Amino acid sequence: MVDVYFFTEMPYAEFDERAAEQYPSMRLTFPNTYFDPAKANVLFRNYYDQFQWAEEVGFDGLMINEHHNTPSCMDVAVNLSAAVLGRITRQAKILLLGNMLPTNDNPVRLAEEVAMADVISGGRIIAGVVRGIGIETWANNTQPNYNRERFEECHDLMLAAWTRPGPFRWEGKHYHFRVVNPWVLPIQKPHPPIWVPGTGSPETVEWAALHRYTYAAFLVPMDAAVRLYENYREHARAAGYEATAEQFAYMVCCVCADTDEQAQELGKHYMWRMGHPLRGPAEYWAPPGYVGQRKAVQPAGVLRHGRKPLYEMTYEELQESYHLVVGSPQTVLEKLSHMHERLGFGSLLLEAQAGAMSHAATMRSLELLGREVIPQLKKRS
Amino acid sequence: MASDWREEHITIAGLQVQVFHGGQGPPLLVLHGAAGNPGWLQAYDALAERFHVYAPSHPGFGTSDRPEWVERVHDLAYCYRWFMEALQLSTLSVIGFSMGGWLAAEMVAMYPAAVRRMVLVGAAGIKPSVGEIADIFLMTPQDVLQKQFYDPAQAPEYARLYGAEPTQEQRQMAAWNREMAALLTWRPYMYNPKMPALMAQVHTPTLVVWGRQDAIVPLNCGELYQQAIPGARLVAIDHCGHSPQIEKPQAFLDTVLPFLTAP
Repeated sequence: MVDVYFFTEMPYAEFDERAAEQYPSMRLTFPNTYFDPAKANVLFRNYYDQFQWAEEVGFDGLMINEHHNTPSCMDVAVNLSAAVLGRITRQAKILLLGNMLPTNDNPVRLAEEVAMADVISGGRIIAGVVRGIGIETWANNTQPNYNRERFEECHDLMLAAWTRPGPFRWEGKHYHFRVVNPWVLPIQKPHPPIWVPGTGSPETVEWAALHRYTYAAFLVPMDAAVRLYENYREHARAAGYEATAEQFAYMVCCVCADTDEQAQELGKHYMWRMGHPLRGPAEYWAPPGYVGQRKAVQPAGVLRHGRKPLYEMTYEELQESYHLVVGSPQTVLEKLSHMHERLGFGSLLLEAQAGAMSHAATMRSLELLGREVIPQLKKRS
Repeated sequence: MASDWREEHITIAGLQVQVFHGGQGPPLLVLHGAAGNPGWLQAYDALAERFHVYAPSHPGFGTSDRPEWVERVHDLAYCYRWFMEALQLSTLSVIGFSMGGWLAAEMVAMYPAAVRRMVLVGAAGIKPSVGEIADIFLMTPQDVLQKQFYDPAQAPEYARLYGAEPTQEQRQMAAWNREMAALLTWRPYMYNPKMPALMAQVHTPTLVVWGRQDAIVPLNCGELYQQAIPGARLVAIDHCGHSPQIEKPQAFLDTVLPFLTAP
């Protein structure tokens, strides 16, 4: 049985995107003078309504993420959204994918925030953890050379804060706390499930497998995902266990409308998300030391698997490669079923809103997905 | 006239350190900037007629070892204390370029009696009160190079140093050096907030040399070093960028040599 999640990056597309062409990137240094809080207020209301609606029409979970200095994602604090969703929804899982560990200077506070969201939501939090793209290192001004080390130590301390009876002391390499003793602890024991997303890095697959965490492949071509999942299974076997479907998630963009024609028109909004937000100088995506010592510098999340970067693909190519699933309920069902048969994931993460796609169209798309596609997909799986 | 210099690796406190050295006379230590060690420069030939010039690659740069504990510029200053001990140099003079100038300032703050004379050239390490130190890590290496010179055409070694398309190995070494420089200088970017207080106690004769059109570390930083260090003199070279030793080597030598050789 597959679980299906609704995801939006809560984008702000309320400006002429050609403005981005005057700057090196739509991320990091794109001037925030293009931001209008009044417009953002309307957008946030819409996005939270969409999350509520997604739960009502049949989605199993709601996914949120976090970025900084970019109109492509207004969620700048995934734990804030988790708290909101924890209060305005009733039973859907709340997938944080996730908290950026290396840029966080206070893992104890992080553990407290996630625990608080878990308590508010009645134990529905999935605590995803991410390294953060290089741009987050810039935006938070964190030492890029220590990205991986801080990821691991922040994770270890967060887990210790949830599971080890306090008070205790933490003297690590990057984090030092004299009295770790968070009062608010998660409902879920021993701690909320942890997921980790990946776009192809073998280290991430190995790390996830060793910790038995769910690995979520993000906008990865299907044949690459098959290999990544297989790598995960191999690492799992080497660690003495057999991986199950629950340990595999897959994220794609997806939009549904009453007819294929309407959906095709609507799906064009995804070209905004696949365009400027993915472009930018290598220095933004991979500050010195972020990628790893003596490795060639490649824009993370842009060039993958020796293929054309997403921002160079046409609308048709994005659909042919299954990065973007567009259509009537029947068309979408066939495509998602095919993906599920091929990959065998336990969770499907649908980015079902993008760019300036209207609130009404998004709500209709969610309704069709939730009421018509998801039940059939579950039956077939 | 090219001097008789050589490149070798020497062991300092258990670390292998790459060093270019040559010349006759008292020891003169030359400290490279964030981009790494350019090797033996033409300007060093003239210095080597009066000094034994040592141009090492800092630990973490070039083919020198990269010890895990080195993560701030003052950590390198400890290493150079050990460098002096290993080579049995009780005192020396020092020229620091850019980030190497910051390092020289840390050395003088840490062991003042060991440094006879100090020359800071386009030195990082002090927070400007006007303008900003250019963020070299946010720029492409090509943009950094462009910003480094006022007019590359007047730099006699420009073609030798930067003219050819870099090999894969050179690109990897440049990335390796950039990583180390980022580690050392990331936050606060390119300065030590304590520097003015530290420099106020310096008694080492100091010359501050700047390219007047320096677009990487503003001339304002040179003024602040000059104001902070008792008795320091500031010389700004006209029509010159961040690296006078490469862009205007003769003007650089005409300024630096009389200072270093003064009785």
